[in-house]
Amino acid sequence: MEAVVVDAGSKLLKIGFASPDQDPALVSILTILFIMQTKMKRVLEDGDGGGDVLMVEEVTADPVVRGFIRDWDAMEDLLRHVLYIDLGWEVGDEGQILFAEPLFTPKAIREQLVQLMFETFNVSGFYASEQVVLSLYAVGRISGCTVDIGHGKIDIAPVCEGAVQHIASKRFQIGGIDLTNLLAQKLKKSNPLVKIDISEVEKLKEQYACCAEDQTSFEETENKCPTETHTLPDGQTITIGRGGYIVGEALFEPSILGIEEYGIVEQLVRSISSVSSENLRQLLENTMLCGGTASMTARSSFPPACLINLPDTLGFEERFQKEANLCSSSIRPSLIKPPEYMPENLSKNSAWMGGAILAKVVFPQNQHVTRGDYDETGPTIVHKKCF
Amino acid sequence: MYGGDEVSAIVLDLGSYTCKAGYAGEDSPKAVFPSVVGSIDQVGVVDEVKPEKDSEITYDSKNADKTKTRKLYVGSQALGYRRDQMEVISPFKDGVVDWDIVDNIWNHAFRECLLIDPKEHPMLLAEPSSNTPQQREKAAELMFESYKVPALFVAKNAVLTSFSSGRATSLVVDSGGGSTTVAAVHDGFVLQKAVLTSPVGGELLTDCMMKSLESKGTTLRPRYSFKKKEIRQGEFQIINLDFPNTTESYKLYSQRAIASDIKESVCRVPDTAFEETAYANVPMTSYELPDGQTIEVGADRFKIPDILFNPSLVLTIPGMESFTSSTSVSGLSQMVIESINRCDVDIRRELFSSILLAGGTASMLQLKERLEKDLMEEAPQAARVKVLASGNSTERRFSVWIGGSILASLGSFQQMWFSKAEYEEHGVSYIQRRCP
Repeated sequence: MEAVVVDAGSKLLKIGFASPDQDPALVSILTILFIMQTKMKRVLEDGDGGGDVLMVEEVTADPVVRGFIRDWDAMEDLLRHVLYIDLGWEVGDEGQILFAEPLFTPKAIREQLVQLMFETFNVSGFYASEQVVLSLYAVGRISGCTVDIGHGKIDIAPVCEGAVQHIASKRFQIGGIDLTNLLAQKLKKSNPLVKIDISEVEKLKEQYACCAEDQTSFEETENKCPTETHTLPDGQTITIGRGGYIVGEALFEPSILGIEEYGIVEQLVRSISSVSSENLRQLLENTMLCGGTASMTARSSFPPACLINLPDTLGFEERFQKEANLCSSSIRPSLIKPPEYMPENLSKNSAWMGGAILAKVVFPQNQHVTRGDYDETGPTIVHKKCF
Repeated sequence: MYGGDEVSAIVLDLGSYTCKAGYAGEDSPKAVFPSVVGSIDQVGVVDEVKPEKDSEITYDSKNADKTKTRKLYVGSQALGYRRDQMEVISPFKDGVVDWDIVDNIWNHAFRECLLIDPKEHPMLLAEPSSNTPQQREKAAELMFESYKVPALFVAKNAVLTSFSSGRATSLVVDSGGGSTTVAAVHDGFVLQKAVLTSPVGGELLTDCMMKSLESKGTTLRPRYSFKKKEIRQGEFQIINLDFPNTTESYKLYSQRAIASDIKESVCRVPDTAFEETAYANVPMTSYELPDGQTIEVGADRFKIPDILFNPSLVLTIPGMESFTSSTSVSGLSQMVIESINRCDVDIRRELFSSILLAGGTASMLQLKERLEKDLMEEAPQAARVKVLASGNSTERRFSVWIGGSILASLGSFQQMWFSKAEYEEHGVSYIQRRCP
């Protein structure tokens, strides 16, 4: 049986078997099902005895907050559902599992995860690796710099030969969720009478977010920007003016989010500069953007911008490269293109795909933590075997 | 006695330039950040002044100074962002330690970099070889009282460096950011009589580099003070951004960051003592500054590192004439010889054959070869001089931390921790006995 690869993000749980020609569609079906704000029905213990009276409580639980697993019970329930029901594991014949973790995961969280896996789920083998390294494996590199812009956090990490340079890595507690909140605020201001659910705002963000060409054209949108009307599923109409541009600009100018930091390109350049100079060239040439938020594309819904004298929109990656070109040539990062044989939506699921590739190497060669190792040494074995 | 070894110990080394922290047992610290902090003084508004009570007014004006609070920004991310009125201050000023800043630095390391709760991990602290007993006790008190650590051990930098190379007896030359210390370690104990310090360190070299470049006409533009704009395809224009409220200390800090990068990329220790005439025609190396300017560095490449061996060169750099010290500063080779001479005759031979290089400044190219050469000339004939330095520059930079990581993960070390129970029973001065 193939190993299972799990990438537990703050918004989506990506899970699937690591097969050689893994169809990404399979992955996306599962991701839609398991949006991490799981609605769990908690049936009270004695509800059945009372006949038809079933007390059902709908509770939304967020197992993963800012990248780290916080609610272990919810995580356990979620994994139980996915592993046994959707993926078809059988009790007593569990397979091997590979987890993708964010940067700077505290040792205690890792140990708790290993413990959960071996004791509650009784897996036969376990391995954990950092998401930034896996994303690089997905594009066929072992050295490079990853900028992982997720829902709950942003990780910027230079990786040399598969080893994350912790000293130069950065982690930010901002992500897609803050952009959603920002958009919700803007929409509330421009549409004071309409009440919009936060999950609706998520969808609007994904549809309308785009990047202006550069900072000056962003400032120009203040004066001339398209007002579009959007019809919500419940029939109300709202106008989305500058909101889309603001969301796109927020990562390049974090003061929009109210945070005192420099933009993402500047952070990447600083991070790379703190690595010793031998590997500098290699890191700069192999910079990779991944994560859901990084897959913002240029808007193509309305007539071409030049026709109605509006600022052009760019996708996130194009804007990123443009900003990167402004750096002096010795420190200019350049984004890599994923290989042609990899599927289309690589940047969203790159950590999962890298995990699938790694699983094919680690488990057959017995480099993972086996049941025997765990029984002998305890949870601390994870620090010695997985790095 | 603290016996738990399931939870890893944390090794913390607060140096004069950077603070290193991480889990014991690992091969490099997870958190490395500058040990200076940004501070903004905020004068608290005194709104309790009631005009009716005249007697209160005088009381409040006395208190007005006390309502001044300061907000500290620790860590490379927080420091890297330019803020109005933010001053850059160091916890070590003229030998006096500002414990409030040290507390903030430790807090940042634990809660924001390592993401741990200090209550659950024993701590290994690295201290300077010439640390006073009072400072040690204060550090221990701070750890036990505000962080409630379960166990603590304080070890001298030189001993930890010695362990990182697997030796119990050696002469440690630790050339860090703020100063250079030469200490002799014998059987795991520092011989206090043989500890020598000199104020020549990485930061002094960076300052010299900066002043030297300024005297040649190059201005180092700090990163926050300019913006690049693309006017046409491939052509860029630099626009100067003016931030009038930026403090001098922050501007200096940003410029030093650039100068230190220049120093690390182009400088090399010369094979023989530096002479102006000999190096006048040396080929120049070019270096591109962040704002796009390219500068050429010639003789300075060799002059600046030679300051380690010949501190009087500092006075020849225009702008650095203010560098005077009460005691004459000796070069590196003299310090090594003097330190060895202060030790017992029996161990001198062993010390000569195991001289260890540690610290950030020690990763300068050709330092090992030059030191060996100088020492062979000045050492007694019978002695065999051997300077050891690990090839990897990160290992040299973090050798104190690595030594701590090795020490704290040894099985036989677990009984040496100074536990909280002992602290509560015997008081803080007991630490002098437990941590030699």
